[in-house]
Amino acid sequence: MLEVERIDAGYKDLQALWGVSLRVEEGELVALVGPNGAGKTTTLKVVSGLVKPTAGNVLLDGRSLLKEPPHRIVEMGISQVLEGGRVFTGLTVMENLELGAFGMKARKAKDQNLKRVFSLFPRLEERKRQRAGTLSGGERQMLAIGRALMSNPRILLLDEPSFGLAPLLVEQIFRMITEINKQGVTVLLVEQNVRAALELTQRAYVIENGRIVGEGSGEALLSFESVRRAYLA
Amino acid sequence: MRAKRLAALAFVVLVIAALAVLPLFVKKDNIINLASLALLYVALASSWNILGGYAGQTNLGHAAFFGLGTLLTRFLWLGGWPLWAALLVGAVVPVILALIIGAPAFRLKGAYFAIGTLALAQVLNVTVANRWPMITSLPARYLATYRLMPRYYLFLAVAVLTVGVAYFLVKSRLGLGLMAVREEEDAAESLGVSGLRHKLLAFGVSAFLAGLAGGAFAFYHVGYYPQFPFSPAWTFDAVMATYIGGTGTIVGPIIGAVFYVIVKELLALKVVEAHLIIFGILFILVVLFLPGGLLEVWSKIRSALGGRAKSRKAALPAG
Repeated sequence: MLEVERIDAGYKDLQALWGVSLRVEEGELVALVGPNGAGKTTTLKVVSGLVKPTAGNVLLDGRSLLKEPPHRIVEMGISQVLEGGRVFTGLTVMENLELGAFGMKARKAKDQNLKRVFSLFPRLEERKRQRAGTLSGGERQMLAIGRALMSNPRILLLDEPSFGLAPLLVEQIFRMITEINKQGVTVLLVEQNVRAALELTQRAYVIENGRIVGEGSGEALLSFESVRRAYLA
Repeated sequence: MRAKRLAALAFVVLVIAALAVLPLFVKKDNIINLASLALLYVALASSWNILGGYAGQTNLGHAAFFGLGTLLTRFLWLGGWPLWAALLVGAVVPVILALIIGAPAFRLKGAYFAIGTLALAQVLNVTVANRWPMITSLPARYLATYRLMPRYYLFLAVAVLTVGVAYFLVKSRLGLGLMAVREEEDAAESLGVSGLRHKLLAFGVSAFLAGLAGGAFAFYHVGYYPQFPFSPAWTFDAVMATYIGGTGTIVGPIIGAVFYVIVKELLALKVVEAHLIIFGILFILVVLFLPGGLLEVWSKIRSALGGRAKSRKAALPAG
């Protein structure tokens, strides 16, 4: 369903990705793991249109996304949660969620999607009139994920959802991600928390220095020698 | 909730009605002049706040749009155009200018927009401000029929329109987009909220209303120095009134403008030019210690009394 084909991308003079390819099939939960600065975030931003690649292609159901602006890509069903959640701290929880349903199509299904988000994260409903700045780290991450679900995406791109959270919360967030995936949303997850990510996913890619260096089932990668040495020792 | 909203609506209607009948009870011209000035400042501050407060883009060239509105409206009106048509041109041309400046300036982050708009205002000040020096004093036949009342009502209409537009814009989906762009532009973009489009929209609306305020000023003033409507003071007065009242709120710029005009009037009588220093210090104090402005004082009192703080303060512009 989603294909990233030999992408080169970067920021001004600094190239961050070198021929990165990966694919995600409908209904899958795929992880992209690797160390800091490997190009994980850039890869996600290429998919969501926030960074335009210098070479290669990104296809959704065979259609190229390269010429589409970010808001069109959201409407086509790809929704991204940025690293650290990046909720609008000065706005209320409700307003944050409404912004997730900003596009024409999403607005029509707003009530329905809101119901779904509140059933996934009851905490958000309790706090819907509070400003997002008053939420805890875990609640903010829930809000960021909930906000991304408000556009009723087919594919959810998650950038480091475990970042800065206590282990117990990480577990909870990962359970929610599995749940969202079970509801039929395809997930591409970027993580530094390699062990947790590999235990969670069916398939994963390993990225280093802007290049994909490994691919396989989560289990296989867990026993993959260089992965073990680099991340799990 | 509903009763509260009705009460607020009733209050707004009451205030507008009171302002509408004010000239029937107050016969002193200096009071009507002061009220006119206060309404002008409400319009200026509220229009600045749409871009500066809600979209978080610090425009230091508001005077350019105000001045252009004054210049064009005055020129056309004295040239025999009907007032409404002259006002319309004086409001639309600033929008075009705003879009031309905004499209490149918004692509640059940081202080560029503030510097760019400041430069724009200065450029207009030295180029077009003095274009038609003869229009700055009203000709004798206009003076013969000059009455203050229509001017006051025009200022009232412009102020009500400006605040009304700001209110409905902010309550709309576009207003939510504006605030999202102010808070976290990357996150807004990732949700499909275009930063550039929203900033341009806010800039256009802000410039339109500033131009309209300038047009009302053109209709009001009997005689002024050609450069006066382009003076940077119009920008900084609007900025200060907005910050003192509370940026990124509807009520803040109104309170700030009225407070500013009254205090300025009192100070100007007593200490003449020194009022500028006093406002400068007040502005610094507000930015440092009361980023939510006078409204923050109010919401602090309310939350101290057990109510819920509702004011929504804008992030201060960085740098």
